[in-house]
Amino acid sequence: MIELYAITDHPGPPLPDVGPLNAVATEDLAAVCAPTSDGEVSPDALWRHEDVVEALMEDRDLLPVRYGTRLEDESAAVRAVAERYDELAVALDRVRGAVELSLRVLVADEPTKATRQEPATGAEYLRAKTRCGVERETAVRILHEPLSILARASLQASPRSPSELLRAAYLVDRPTVESFVGLVARLQSVHPGLRLLCTGPWPPYSFAER
Amino acid sequence: MTDKVLHAARELDSFAGDLPRLENALSRRIGADPENVQRGLAQLVLTVVELLRQLMERQALRRVDSGTLSEEQVERLGRTFMELDKRMEELREEFGLDEEDLNLNLGPLGNLL
Repeated sequence: MIELYAITDHPGPPLPDVGPLNAVATEDLAAVCAPTSDGEVSPDALWRHEDVVEALMEDRDLLPVRYGTRLEDESAAVRAVAERYDELAVALDRVRGAVELSLRVLVADEPTKATRQEPATGAEYLRAKTRCGVERETAVRILHEPLSILARASLQASPRSPSELLRAAYLVDRPTVESFVGLVARLQSVHPGLRLLCTGPWPPYSFAER
Repeated sequence: MTDKVLHAARELDSFAGDLPRLENALSRRIGADPENVQRGLAQLVLTVVELLRQLMERQALRRVDSGTLSEEQVERLGRTFMELDKRMEELREEFGLDEEDLNLNLGPLGNLL
């Protein structure tokens, strides 16, 4: 059994020393994989997977493969890549030279679950919903739109809690990362009523499939 | 992990709510014991219900915005949706599902909700 970590260009730079990795080539693409014992699924194993993908990301372009993608052997990996060769080649071109940055935005004075007031009337409930919708639209306009200009591609996910206004991912050219983070810091200082969290650089998980 | 933080507001704690989700999601997505299968079905059904609830709520907000409803009608609408919201939360808790779980990735179309 082998575990897949990433699809990269072939040939590429030497593989990083983070385990018994092997690059299995199909034309000018390679599937980076390692032998695995099945059964072991845990948050620790997930982080190990992420470490490998991030080590690969340091010096090459790649399509990250989701944790838990396992195949019988290396010839199965060759077949899997060959079957989707065109799609994978196009996807790799799309993320070439770029990394993923993630942004989350919360309102600054987030009420905790205990202190949050239940709306007393139906009308109040609807007003709160409208207000939340307006705040989210505003966050998109004042944060997401300017940041998207610096990104090659961007996408939004639905906020996960009432105090979350924005959850977005950006595909940013490696040389642009610094100015992107600079813009995040400027936007934060202009909007002290919001809390911005920007993380990365991540493998382009959100942009690998389209 | 902290070396991945490029910019953060004063305190990070408020963003940490996601961490317990990971272990949860992992244990849920692996293994197909009967309880998991049941929860998977509940997840699918609740996703459809949540989609309808959100569509109706948006429609209601538009009608309230248009100003054509009487105060009493607005109050009744609001109360209905408030109750629905609460009931959905109870059902989610019962099946151990997060808001995020009631969504479907539609590939090129993005997410359902």
